Amino acid sequence: MHVVVATDGSKQSLAAARHLVSFADPDKVTDVSVVGVVSPYASVGFADEISKEAKSRTPRTFREEATAAVATVAAEFAGWGPKVHQRLRSGSPANEIVKAARTLGAGLVVVASGSRGLSDTVLLGSTAQRVQHSAPCPVLVVRPAPRKSRRRAKS
Amino acid sequence: MTETTARDDTVPGASDSELKRSITGRLLFFYVLGDVLGSGIYVLIGLVAGAVGGAFWIAFAVGVTIATITGLAYAELVTKYPQAAGAALYVNKAFRSTPLTFLVTVTFLAASFAAAGSLATGFSSYFAELWELPPALLISIVFILLLAVVNYIGITESVVANMLMTFVEIAGLVIVMITGVWYVAEGKADFGQLTDFTTDGNPAFALLAGVALAFFAMTGFENAANVAEETINPSRTFPRALVGGMAAAGVIYVLVAITAALTVPNKTLADSDAALLEVIEAGILPIPVGLMTTLFAVIAMVAITNTTLVAVVTQSRILYGMAREDVVPGVFAKVHSSRRSPWVALIFAAVVVTGLLVVGALLNNAGVGVDVVERLSLVTVVLTLAIYLMVIAACLKLTNSDVHDDSFRAPRALLAIGILGNFALLAYVVIDDPFSLVWCAGLIAVGGILYAVEYFFGTKTAARDKHGVTTSKEI
Repeated sequence: MHVVVATDGSKQSLAAARHLVSFADPDKVTDVSVVGVVSPYASVGFADEISKEAKSRTPRTFREEATAAVATVAAEFAGWGPKVHQRLRSGSPANEIVKAARTLGAGLVVVASGSRGLSDTVLLGSTAQRVQHSAPCPVLVVRPAPRKSRRRAKS
Repeated sequence: MTETTARDDTVPGASDSELKRSITGRLLFFYVLGDVLGSGIYVLIGLVAGAVGGAFWIAFAVGVTIATITGLAYAELVTKYPQAAGAALYVNKAFRSTPLTFLVTVTFLAASFAAAGSLATGFSSYFAELWELPPALLISIVFILLLAVVNYIGITESVVANMLMTFVEIAGLVIVMITGVWYVAEGKADFGQLTDFTTDGNPAFALLAGVALAFFAMTGFENAANVAEETINPSRTFPRALVGGMAAAGVIYVLVAITAALTVPNKTLADSDAALLEVIEAGILPIPVGLMTTLFAVIAMVAITNTTLVAVVTQSRILYGMAREDVVPGVFAKVHSSRRSPWVALIFAAVVVTGLLVVGALLNNAGVGVDVVERLSLVTVVLTLAIYLMVIAACLKLTNSDVHDDSFRAPRALLAIGILGNFALLAYVVIDDPFSLVWCAGLIAVGGILYAVEYFFGTKTAARDKHGVTTSKEI
């Protein structure tokens, strides 16, 4: 099975990747594709908050940020078993994640749902919701844990 | 297991990683066209007509030409440095001066705020055609706040929405042109109108005034640098799409200006808040005027919305980028956890533009006799002209740097004309209206305050990292 793991550069998306590793059977998963989407028309095309470079203040382009975030999430799957691919796309995030899942013939899409905030419930739904709506396969939405849990120490 | 080894065995070869870019030449063309078309024609045509007289279409032709030449300089620089930083990046590359780079960034931001204010006022005058009850100020403020929300949600990332809005804009201007053709076909047109300079002063001076205003109708093209990084094959695509988009907009403008000059008495155009609507209201086409007016007002609002959206995106992007580099306080770099929008920057931009609108309205009511739209658009012209001058200069200075096989090279003779043109306009605008410098100073002061706050209260790292807006790497 090919699993698509989406990242928007948020810590939550890194947690989602770790969650997948924590329970899924690596023998059943043949490939993992980590997908990051740069949105050229948006105010912030991509915001990387997880890579090592994110802490330094060197100016990076959105594309560089996305590349770094995708690599950071991909590193979570190192030594887990399945082949890991890093993919960068550009466009509207939900659309591109669904398209990637379709072209790769994915059996599962893993996305993070950023917050429990009012804005996600009221305002048209987040990327995670839009992906659930049109994905060609099952979708695992990793919700933020109530404060403090799931932030495991690095193994 | 360290991250480095992990990354090595996850990426066996670069061929395995997929790096798709999404902006094709056609998308970029429509992005430029949509952005440029909305910005001025609906708002400014009356002002240009008032400044020049019936021959104001010439002002449009000249303004469009100078803007397109400036576009060539942008195209060359974008193909050399396809990062999404625009004018500030180029000036920094060329002159390596932190204060200058900061000044350009703040100036650009200020110009963008002013433009948004002027567009919001334009929006409210078209809105009044549909529903006169709500006060114009309220409408323009609600408009700005709604756009901030739309940006926060992230609808702007939709390529389809952008294309649709651009088609609606073109449709509106096509209606105007059909009206013109119809009028000429009926044999009512008096072509003498087209060479009429009604102003009392020197025609050349009047023309310059018109050109300055018409030039504003073309601004916005520089926002195309936003999407440069995601453009497929930028060195070939970018110059064509940018210049093509601007030239197409220019042709449409001149045709629309000619139509307006032929069909509506110049005085009416000059006095109108929503001048293009006068063409429709002249009742030339055999379609009920009421229906057409409504339709056209809606189209004009869509057009203005499109342009203002891009302006708001650009503003928050610049603020975000500056905060990332500790040029302004770090809160501006806050990104919402799931929306991925720089919400602090969006709120700040909305507050500044709203403030401008309120102050403008208060001054108006106090009987200062200042026309806010005209004021803001002139202020914007002063600021953007200065930026364009610097960008062309940067382009010339960087002639021999970072040249690669397929970087685009703008004809030098044209760039020289561009410098002269921009300079003449700048000089004219300042001489004609020295008071606009006070407004510019006010806008730039906002940036100065931000800078001061960061300088005195910023983190310790700020002092070290403050090497201007872009110390970015070569590519």
